Amino acid sequence: MFIRLLKRSFYNQKKAMALMVVSVTMGTAITASLITLSFEITGKVAKELRAFGANILVEPNVKGLASLSGQQRYLREEDIIKTKTIFWRHNILGVAPFLETKSVIEVKDKNTKIDTIGTWFEKELPLPGEARSFPAGVKTVSLWWDIDGEWPKKNEEVLVGVTAAKLMGISPGAALRINGKDFRASGILNTGGKEDRQIFLNLETLQEMASLKGKISKVLVSALTTPMDDFAYKDPKTMTKTEYEKWYCTGYVTSIAKQVEEVFLGSSVKPIWQVAETEGKVLDRLRSTIYILSILTLFATALGVSTTMISSLLRRIEEIGLMKAIGADSLKISTIFLSEAFVIGISGGLLGYLISIAVVKFIGLKVFGTVLEQKALLLPIAIFSALIIAVIGSLLPIKRALKIKPAIVLKGVE
Amino acid sequence: MSFIKLDNITKEYETAHALRGADLEVDRGEWVSIVGPSGSGKTTLLNILGCLDSPTSGSILIDNTDINMLSEDALAIFRREIIGFIFQQSHLIPYLTAVENVMLAQYFHSLSDEKEAIEALKRVGLGHRLDHRPSQLSGGEQQRVCIARALINSPKLLLADEPTGNLDRENTKIILELLKKLHSEEHFTIIVVTHDSFVSRWAQRVLTMEDGRITKDEFLY
Repeated sequence: MFIRLLKRSFYNQKKAMALMVVSVTMGTAITASLITLSFEITGKVAKELRAFGANILVEPNVKGLASLSGQQRYLREEDIIKTKTIFWRHNILGVAPFLETKSVIEVKDKNTKIDTIGTWFEKELPLPGEARSFPAGVKTVSLWWDIDGEWPKKNEEVLVGVTAAKLMGISPGAALRINGKDFRASGILNTGGKEDRQIFLNLETLQEMASLKGKISKVLVSALTTPMDDFAYKDPKTMTKTEYEKWYCTGYVTSIAKQVEEVFLGSSVKPIWQVAETEGKVLDRLRSTIYILSILTLFATALGVSTTMISSLLRRIEEIGLMKAIGADSLKISTIFLSEAFVIGISGGLLGYLISIAVVKFIGLKVFGTVLEQKALLLPIAIFSALIIAVIGSLLPIKRALKIKPAIVLKGVE
Repeated sequence: MSFIKLDNITKEYETAHALRGADLEVDRGEWVSIVGPSGSGKTTLLNILGCLDSPTSGSILIDNTDINMLSEDALAIFRREIIGFIFQQSHLIPYLTAVENVMLAQYFHSLSDEKEAIEALKRVGLGHRLDHRPSQLSGGEQQRVCIARALINSPKLLLADEPTGNLDRENTKIILELLKKLHSEEHFTIIVVTHDSFVSRWAQRVLTMEDGRITKDEFLY
């Protein structure tokens, strides 16, 4: 009888029921899409944020007497490719070495001593044991560099920082001599930083000129990282074995830095905090915004269900009063409403999930230019949350229904 | 011992005194009519007897149970175990068929049994209208569904509020004859509130109410 009652009741209030199913469907679709986007968006936006520049700096580890004597230490160029062998190798998006020296620059018979930096502008590194190569160089870690002219393509071409270029009267295409060797300024570099006072040339060329073959002063690494949380800031030395494993296997900038340090001989690797923290904050805020929006959506859905159910209840006062008069107790009345909420929740959750598949694909294509897949794991979660929302939405109507006096079905007070 | 015993029942609303000290004793199996002008307190008394409303003061014993001591849910259970209702406007669930309306009372009582519900409808002469909705039934037929629903759980007390108020004389007679037959077969106690002296004369006893009090208690046979 109960199933019959439920079926007939649904059919009798088909408009209200359809409205509630649509509310739950929309709420679930939006929430399921937002949750999927919160997973996907972190990766996508983190990649976009890599335009901020490198977030890990590798420098020679200077300790003991060397630090006192001020003796120059170098890293080995051959270790660079090892960054693509660490546990989080797939998160290493860019890497660029730098060799820093001071050189005498001669332009139109005028000599100036300027910081000269050897680097890779763009270089394909063969990946160990793989047929693929890895694009490395300044272009992969300093996406914001503004060049007036062209990037150097030949070994005798250099980039001249805008301040240095003004000082020496160099314009794009101008000739200059570095330590007596002829070069051409292919472009003028404008970064707004110390690079504006430097000259950049091919790493190998500078290594030869400075007799520092295979040596580099520092490396910038651009890595895709997990936003820092409280646990990430913990000192690894004070961690238990389990904590250390968890930290090591999470893509925090600190754990990736640690792994890079392990493969760079004699190195000291540190996160560039202003970049890492900004990224972390941006991603955290983005995620928090998505979660708050999800909660608000679910709350609005519950409110929608509750409002529709109450307006439907107002039309059913006499019916509920009659049920009470002929013996329905609180449990039976609540069961009727909860069962209606159950059916609304299950169908709304299922439909909402199906719609979210299309929504996620649409947003993926329109916003990120890539196809995003809805996660199958979200189906039970979507149905469960839709059920909870429908049940929460029905609580107030149930409370009201239980307050209805059965005497209302009689003709009233004489 | 009386099946129903009301002692000095009062019912006050914010603006009115519906009952001003009603005393009543009804024996098991009696058929009692309550008559009186509008506003005399008939329906209020019936609501209190049916555990649909509570008195402001006074005690009520029905089938040895002190009704004032029961919670809302206990009252619901008491109603479904002991009492059957027939209302003036039959108050059937509009989207359920005749048989489903009867089965609903079974479901709230214990378990629904379609065969038994069909049998109950046949007893009231509606074997041919089982799958009709209330809107497809005449007033008299709706009242007969209401009687079948009221009696399906074998109540000890049948309360009827103007059961024939919306019916013509012919249908009124059919309903009353049906009630008489069922009363003689099942021996439940029946209390009927009515304006109609034709209806009240079918009872063994007629109570007259005025201004919230029972002013006359007349045994007809």
